Amino acid sequence: MVQDLLESSAGLLNFSIFFALAVVLLLVILGFVTMAILAERKVLGFMQGRYGPAYVGGKWGLLQSVADVVKLLVKEDLIPKAADKPLFIIAPVIAFAPSFMVMATIPLTDKLQFADLNVGFLYYIAISGLTIVGMLMAGWASNNKYSLLGGMRAAAQMISYEIPLVMSVLGIVLLAGSLNLNEIVAVQGESGWFILWQPIAFIVFFIAATAELNRVPFDLAEAENELVAGFHTEYSGFRWAMFMLAEYVYMFAMSALITVLFLGGWLPLPFLGFIPGAVWFALKFSLVVYILIWFRATFPRIRADQLMEFAWKVLLPVALANIFLTALIKEFFLK
Amino acid sequence: MTLTGEFFAFMSLALVAVIGGVLLLNLTKVVHMVVALVFTFVSIAGIYVLLSAEFLAVVQVMIYSGAITIMMLFGIMLTRHHGDEAEPKGGTLRRLFLLVGVLGFGAAVYFGIYDLDFEAVPNTLHENNTEQIGISLFSHYIIPFELTSVILLAALVGAIVLARRDDEKEGDQE
Repeated sequence: MVQDLLESSAGLLNFSIFFALAVVLLLVILGFVTMAILAERKVLGFMQGRYGPAYVGGKWGLLQSVADVVKLLVKEDLIPKAADKPLFIIAPVIAFAPSFMVMATIPLTDKLQFADLNVGFLYYIAISGLTIVGMLMAGWASNNKYSLLGGMRAAAQMISYEIPLVMSVLGIVLLAGSLNLNEIVAVQGESGWFILWQPIAFIVFFIAATAELNRVPFDLAEAENELVAGFHTEYSGFRWAMFMLAEYVYMFAMSALITVLFLGGWLPLPFLGFIPGAVWFALKFSLVVYILIWFRATFPRIRADQLMEFAWKVLLPVALANIFLTALIKEFFLK
Repeated sequence: MTLTGEFFAFMSLALVAVIGGVLLLNLTKVVHMVVALVFTFVSIAGIYVLLSAEFLAVVQVMIYSGAITIMMLFGIMLTRHHGDEAEPKGGTLRRLFLLVGVLGFGAAVYFGIYDLDFEAVPNTLHENNTEQIGISLFSHYIIPFELTSVILLAALVGAIVLARRDDEKEGDQE
């Protein structure tokens, strides 16, 4: 459906159709974000032997996140006097916009996708890289030493971990012969999920993805016992909510990407094909999100010097060796 | 000329690119300049997409978002941020020469491209351009490609050597 729309002539009608579709996607993602925050608090509570949110919206605290968002929206809009005002204002926008843009290329099922790009995977990596600029801008514009340190750490960490992230997927690209996310899923339908064929790549990718998402054990950019809150120390109210939103939308996007690349996307398990693809995608996707939250509850934060060494001395060589191994296997066994 | 969506997209992207470039020259704070540069690079990537060179567009964003972030870091670390010193302005004669130079350049470019007529050769470069770039890079242009990698590797090793030496000196002093 989207394909026909993309090829149709430009006009006010088509513009409004695209606009409406984008708004629907945004609302879906906002719904996910409120539920993900609730899920995170509930799962953390469960793992730490306490209840988590339990009052607002019934026994499960279903409206807790909604109440939090309303609180943030009605908060006073504070801009520090010494801040660099224009940068302070556009930094949250630059950090958030790419996180929504990457959603366009991720196929949720074989029919439900906005843009079927030939370079889908690279598009994701490239656009998500723009968020770093927003974070660094926020850190600098706040004119606060903790913010600047947090921004610097975020930049160094995300640039370093982007490299093993891309390198680990090269093995999959070699096997699938395409960067198109749809085709990668299609190949997995014939050969089996890539988590079976590329277990090393999966581990490297998962670790690098956790670091890209700035989540525990890699959340040094906002380590609260060293840097107050990192690059968004000076932010409050809705501008702060934009950063949080970007973080959780990336969590959505990265979990969806892991599902597509390694877990076969919407493909069913054998003999269970009667369950629709969207349900399968949702199940695998929820599993990945759960594992990310699980990590947060169980791992201690690593030190800043370990962080860089780990990316360059462990993950990158392992990812390169994986590419080499995959190339050998493809050359000798799969021809 | 008809007003198609492509025309609008091109005009807005070109406008953003040019405005970003002008701001880069006119702003005084280094971080602001770098942000202007981000807008220029991203809109140039958008123009690549309009030319259906999506691989090039994506690589442009990927390389430059990292490069710009690093540049911003160095900009923050290596420059002063409180300097109010105004740069000395040139005299009237110098400005006049500048104006003549700008006009001359504009005229040269205008006459150069006004009658330029590329023959529209039908080609298939826009189909699967990732694959085509890969094939020609690893078959026809393999030697320049490998040479570039070696040069980059040498630069990398050189940078490490330069950075390491400082470390050892500091270590000796302690």
